[in-house]
Amino acid sequence: MTYRCLLQMVLLLCFSTTALSMNYSLLRFQQRRSDMVCQKLLRQLPSTPQHCLEVRMDFQVPEEMKQAQQFQKEDAVLVIYEMLQQIFSILTRDFSSTGWSETVIEDLLVELQGQMVHLEPIQKEIMQRKNFTTGDMTIPHLKKYYINLGQYLKSMEYNSSAWTVVRAEMFKNFSFLKRLTGYLRD
Amino acid sequence: MVQSVKRKQGWHLLQCLRKVFSWRASLSWVLEGLGGEANLKPENVEIHIIDDNFFLKWNSSSESVRNVTFSADYQILGTDNWKKLPGCQNTTSTNCNFSSVELKNVFEKIELRIRAEEGNNTSIWYEVEPFVPFLEAQIGPPDVHLEAEDKAIILSISPPGTEDSIMWATDRLNFRYSVVIWKNSSSLEERTETVFPEDKIYKLSPEITYCLKVKAELPLQSRVGYYSPVYCINTTERHNVPSPENIQINADNQVFVLKWDYPYENTTFRAQWLRAFFKKIPGKHSGKWKQILNCENVTTTRCVFPRNAFPSGIYYVRVQASNGNGTSFWSEEKKFYIEMKTVIFPPVISLKSITDDSLHVSVGASEESENTSVNQLYPLIYEVIFWENTSNAERKVLEKRTEFTFLDLKPLTVYCVKARALIENDRRNKSSSFSDTVCEKTKPGDTSKTWLKAGICTALFSIPVVIYVVRLFLRCVNYVFFPSSKPPSSVDEYFSDQPLKNLLLSTSEEQTERCFIIENASIITEIEETNEIDEVHKKYNSQTSQDSGNYSNEDENSGSKISEEFLQQDSV
Repeated sequence: MTYRCLLQMVLLLCFSTTALSMNYSLLRFQQRRSDMVCQKLLRQLPSTPQHCLEVRMDFQVPEEMKQAQQFQKEDAVLVIYEMLQQIFSILTRDFSSTGWSETVIEDLLVELQGQMVHLEPIQKEIMQRKNFTTGDMTIPHLKKYYINLGQYLKSMEYNSSAWTVVRAEMFKNFSFLKRLTGYLRD
Repeated sequence: MVQSVKRKQGWHLLQCLRKVFSWRASLSWVLEGLGGEANLKPENVEIHIIDDNFFLKWNSSSESVRNVTFSADYQILGTDNWKKLPGCQNTTSTNCNFSSVELKNVFEKIELRIRAEEGNNTSIWYEVEPFVPFLEAQIGPPDVHLEAEDKAIILSISPPGTEDSIMWATDRLNFRYSVVIWKNSSSLEERTETVFPEDKIYKLSPEITYCLKVKAELPLQSRVGYYSPVYCINTTERHNVPSPENIQINADNQVFVLKWDYPYENTTFRAQWLRAFFKKIPGKHSGKWKQILNCENVTTTRCVFPRNAFPSGIYYVRVQASNGNGTSFWSEEKKFYIEMKTVIFPPVISLKSITDDSLHVSVGASEESENTSVNQLYPLIYEVIFWENTSNAERKVLEKRTEFTFLDLKPLTVYCVKARALIENDRRNKSSSFSDTVCEKTKPGDTSKTWLKAGICTALFSIPVVIYVVRLFLRCVNYVFFPSSKPPSSVDEYFSDQPLKNLLLSTSEEQTERCFIIENASIITEIEETNEIDEVHKKYNSQTSQDSGNYSNEDENSGSKISEEFLQQDSV
């Protein structure tokens, strides 16, 4: 009899402790789904002349994106949110020269916005707890990278070649996002 | 004599004092000349950044109005390459504007230093604490454009900074705007609202002057900007065609029902929709509103459109009325969420009795959900409802596992289970419908088992007993209700002397009885009678000595004997 009580107590304790960290599990599932959908949509955008990709551009890709680096789940949330925001921002610019489907771009924007809405409550909570001026330079590096992308597009007058290069960068972004999603565990 | 001495002493004293003062004056001059570097140094140097405007402010320690100029340098932290800060070279004032510095990266830490110069003398460098421009920057006032309707004001807000702003390049779409609006006549009735760059303020009164001011915020970074100047505008007179009000959207199976209120008849309406993300983008997107196909030129205050017309996401809907008098302004924009196109199928449950006090539950996915990827993409938990078949008391349990056991149950009792799947921690509490109810009986307990065994044993033993009793009973019944026609055995023996054979074969043989031939009938008979009487008496005596109670028998015997005697006497 007492053994049975003990077992149930242990099970109850396990369940209650896991209940608190279940938010990250849901977020991970949502993010994974969102990443898949976005990559699928990106593939639907045709990439124009391949020679555009031969030009090597230095957008100052952050080291964190290139190397396999460990992230804490809170940092992962902040980085993911920042990336989604910036990708959203880039896709709102003028892509008329590319002939890309407006519907596909809009679907991408909807997906990005939807996922940001999912992240916002946790992001807010983390920002309140964490001082923004921490030594971690991942987000400033990312911001610099996206500014470079934006300025590149502008300097090329939003032509299709520039967009092709940016599209290739987007794919790199999403594979980084996939890696970050893996850190959203308890 | 005394006076002259006094005069001489006074004169000497004066000379002494003059020398002292002149010496002091020259000393101070020398000191000024020497320590002038320390006094020239700027103090309390501060950096002010508003949007893309960079200002440097300081105090001069030197009070004298002299030809002191100040110059500043900057470098990126970590490099050793001081560059001249543009706009802050050889300036006589105590502030300068270095906005023209072309910072490639506002997210890098910058170092600044400033010093004073006077002729050939330069003070030591005052070094400012290194800072990140983006974090030091304050959000400036936004640019606001207003347009008035009768009961609303349309706002067009441009983000702080220019379009080419480097500071807010990455955050232009993240600004939220806080508007404070009041009636010009009474500033007490203030209202604060948070709006998008292109938005409207509703619930105003016609023909009233409203004043407002706007500030931009970055809510996720907890940063608030400066207020814009106050703008005032008059709302127009009441429009002759009012706008629809109280817009509601309800989901109903595979359709959405859009309803609104309108006070008048004979009006046609049309409804439009917009994807919500457009609101985040500054600039007019009036061209992005699209007509809802089933809601064009409707005359009722409702319209129905299919669910699959709108893929999942967040939308805004607005309605406009028109009649013979004209067209109304657009109604308030109603935001609504269309949930993701994920259908959660109910799970399949199987229940198994393992021991007398527990039931094992297995939750599985239904066949339909095997084909979709929903279950793999969303973490599911199961709400399991469990009750005893005879009672109504239900126990509700949330389980993440797909195999679990209910313990502490009663043996030989029927329990029932049903479950539904939920998305873990989903704010919208999306769930599947309930699965079929499955019931199972628990196994019998240990004590019950022994009772059962005993019962079986007794049953086995009692069967032959029962059979025997039944047979007896049947015999009784047969004896009472269905007697056999066979005579008793003694009679049967008697009749067995006369075989049937004789009856059939013998013809005329008469059956004779044993008879006595009587000659001296009287003597013989008397002798025989006396003998018989003696015998009778003897018998009589013997009988009386033995059976005193059987009077009737004796009477009968004696009676029969006496009658025989009489017969024999008569025959003689």
